[in-house]
Amino acid sequence: MLYYFISRMIIMGIMWLGMVLLKWGGDGSQLVWQALIFTVIVLMGGFAEKVLHYEGDPYVLPVVQAILALGLVFLVRISPVIGLRQFWWANIGQLIFYGILFAVRDYRQLGKFRYLWGLLAVSLLFITLVFGFAAGGATSWLRIGGVGVEPEEFVKLALLLFMATYLEENEELLRVGTVQVGKFSLPDWRTLGPFLVMAVFSLGLLGAQKSLGTALVFYALFVLMIYVVTERALYLGISLPIFLLVGSLGYLLFRHVRVRVIVWLNPWQDPTGMGYQIAQSLFAISGGKILGTGLGNGIGAAMVPASSTDFIFSVIAEELGFAGAMAVLLLFLIVVMRAFSISLRAKDRFGQILAAGIGILLGTETLIILAGVTKLLPLTGIPLPWVSYGGSSILVHFILLGVLLNISNATAVGSQRNKTKGREYAT
Amino acid sequence: MRGLRRVALGMAFSFFVLSLGLVYWQVVQADTLLENPANRRLILMESRVTRGGIFDRNGEIIAKTQTIDGKRVRVYPKGEMYEPTLGYSTARLGAAGLEGSLANWLMGVKNATAAQTIQQMFSLPRQGDDVVLTLDSHLQSVAYNALKGKKGAAIAIDPQTGEVLALVSQPGYDPTNLDDHWKDIIKQTEEKPLDNRAFSLFPPGSIMKVVTSASLFRSGLNTTNLYECKGSTVINGQVIPEQNQEAHGWVNYNMALADSCNTYFATFGVQAGDKSFLSAAKGFGFGQKIPFELNVPLSQITNSPKVPESLSTNLLAASCFGQGQVLVTPFQMALVTAGIANHGVIMTPHIVERVLDPSQTVEYEPKPQPWLTALSKDEADKITSAMVTAVTAGTASPGALPGVQVAAKTGSAEPGGNQPTHAWYIAFAPAEAPRIAVAVFVEHGGTGGGAAAPIARQIIQEALARK
Repeated sequence: MLYYFISRMIIMGIMWLGMVLLKWGGDGSQLVWQALIFTVIVLMGGFAEKVLHYEGDPYVLPVVQAILALGLVFLVRISPVIGLRQFWWANIGQLIFYGILFAVRDYRQLGKFRYLWGLLAVSLLFITLVFGFAAGGATSWLRIGGVGVEPEEFVKLALLLFMATYLEENEELLRVGTVQVGKFSLPDWRTLGPFLVMAVFSLGLLGAQKSLGTALVFYALFVLMIYVVTERALYLGISLPIFLLVGSLGYLLFRHVRVRVIVWLNPWQDPTGMGYQIAQSLFAISGGKILGTGLGNGIGAAMVPASSTDFIFSVIAEELGFAGAMAVLLLFLIVVMRAFSISLRAKDRFGQILAAGIGILLGTETLIILAGVTKLLPLTGIPLPWVSYGGSSILVHFILLGVLLNISNATAVGSQRNKTKGREYAT
Repeated sequence: MRGLRRVALGMAFSFFVLSLGLVYWQVVQADTLLENPANRRLILMESRVTRGGIFDRNGEIIAKTQTIDGKRVRVYPKGEMYEPTLGYSTARLGAAGLEGSLANWLMGVKNATAAQTIQQMFSLPRQGDDVVLTLDSHLQSVAYNALKGKKGAAIAIDPQTGEVLALVSQPGYDPTNLDDHWKDIIKQTEEKPLDNRAFSLFPPGSIMKVVTSASLFRSGLNTTNLYECKGSTVINGQVIPEQNQEAHGWVNYNMALADSCNTYFATFGVQAGDKSFLSAAKGFGFGQKIPFELNVPLSQITNSPKVPESLSTNLLAASCFGQGQVLVTPFQMALVTAGIANHGVIMTPHIVERVLDPSQTVEYEPKPQPWLTALSKDEADKITSAMVTAVTAGTASPGALPGVQVAAKTGSAEPGGNQPTHAWYIAFAPAEAPRIAVAVFVEHGGTGGGAAAPIARQIIQEALARK
């Protein structure tokens, strides 16, 4: 009870303190209303957990809500209009989260559709490539009823479910292998087929959309999930040369890939042209020093392009300094580690794989964008989960969170239903 | 689930590497990136603050930021009078002078008040501190008008407190709308209006003799003894000439300083020795950083080091009357004068009287503090009496004022080449209880008595009339 109280107070503290400290030009009443709704959802959600006997992981949701609150404060700081829209998405996202947490009786039903998930993922990407429009260099947007939707966010969900289903089914074959190639025994084509088709199509389509960041996330997701399930270092070993080969080909064939690498190697050569984005990001981050410039006092929000989406971390690192940036890193690390811990405890294989996949997805997304804005890796723009502005991203990540905690709750409840059914599925 | 544990470990490690990346940018590289020319942080930060005002000691506005048609504009009601000492601050040109060196106060970042800190943290519109200077606009205006049309500098200091009352350098420039006429200013390579001549190095000529005097006293010279000046003398094979080969006849110390006798000071200066001379110069602040709000270059005896361990006899002889490699700033000479006036103690000079936060509470107010003890009281008295003689019966007489005893020394320094001499005049008054010390320098102005003394006289007259 004390933990519940303190954690919610911290979340409210982050949001309300930030909201009070910021000054908004114009009418702030809508923002205050949204913030109140946010407060009610957080508090009532906690209440609902008690009433409906939620017994899953108690840490993940408050930590995500803290990340979300921080992201909301910074979006309001960057642009009150964007912040207001994000409040809507955050509130809707949390409701969907609770919907999935409490309404989905058995998450294993999600595995029922098997390859339909894969087909859905590839179709979504294909439709985007054909009908989508470009923003920020990548053709990754669809307009549905006047609202811009980023299908690749939903593809994350579909692919994850496909991977979990596929890996659960073919685990043994992938692990042991049936075809002997030299020293290695590999799975046969019939086993590998569906996965390879999916991987090649989805990555190929993303490449064609110039969504390099998302492609990188998916690649890491595929490789790490296969490794986690099969525990064969062989798959990691194969992935590296493939990555280098594809990467080199991309570098040689496509100018936009070359530009990214050149800018990454030396942004200072042309800090007002091609290197502008990363240079401004680094100016912002470095200006924060240890304790930051203070909320609302940085230059990054105005200077860094895409400060409300891909580069929001630069603004946070500037205004909250190293201390604040480390806090954000730690919060994400907690979420990822808790996801792995949920996976380790899950009673059935599908739940284990799915939870591990969610952890891997969140971890790689965070690492890739944060390493990008700090110039540890070439920049590939993807949203920072729950922080960057974007309805699609928020909704999908709350759905993922709902699935994750549903698994956790099912494990903890350990009901008769779960135990018996778990045995049926266990191999 | 070994695989998952390994992936978890790998993720945790990657996050660790990421945090090292943050350390690199936010700690190691922070200052380097701040100086990157493409980084507009400082300019942007500055544009958020309403720069504080600068006022003279009477509260008259010297510089102020006003909002005109919704745009913040820095206005300078006094025009050229305070330039280049006051300097400028624009986004395009950067900052110089007091606008530059006092920027931390004016921007409200130095010793920020609690309110300013909070405003700074949350980017509320911020108001910098107001700075009240020790400068007196009346005195400044007198000195400015007297120097106008010439090249030179004039400094007036309160010898008892170290307050700088006037600091003029000519030619100057109009700081209003500087961005627009910047091109015309930098075109004037001869006049160099951006250079502050009060802080530039020139040969001092005979005003150096007040420094040499300390060396003579300390060598045990009897100041009443007479010496015969024959118009020139030879020391170590080097001819020491008098100005215009004038023979001063039999002179004692008082008369030698009053008549500005080169051979007297060269002869006894060499007798006193290089160590004594160098230690006297050091005592007056040669080769030492002056603790002041503006950067003043070091005055020197030789080019390198500024004050050496020893001097050759020939260089020593020339240095004793301010030639050789001796170079001084007019500001340094004003401090030397103030030190003599204040019984040998040079007070730490300051130009900021107080700093007021936006609610007009005093935030900083320097107290008078001694900087150097250049002379004993007895030595200071002897030099003062000789400087009085210089005004009553010597070269410094053009600076005399009715009803007030002025103590002064002239200088006409050879700049080298075939150019007119630099005119110097250092003075303080009243001699018995000094309230003002001045140093006036006119570049290629001719003789000190002719070109510099009238300017000094006007400044002293105004200063004594106003107090």
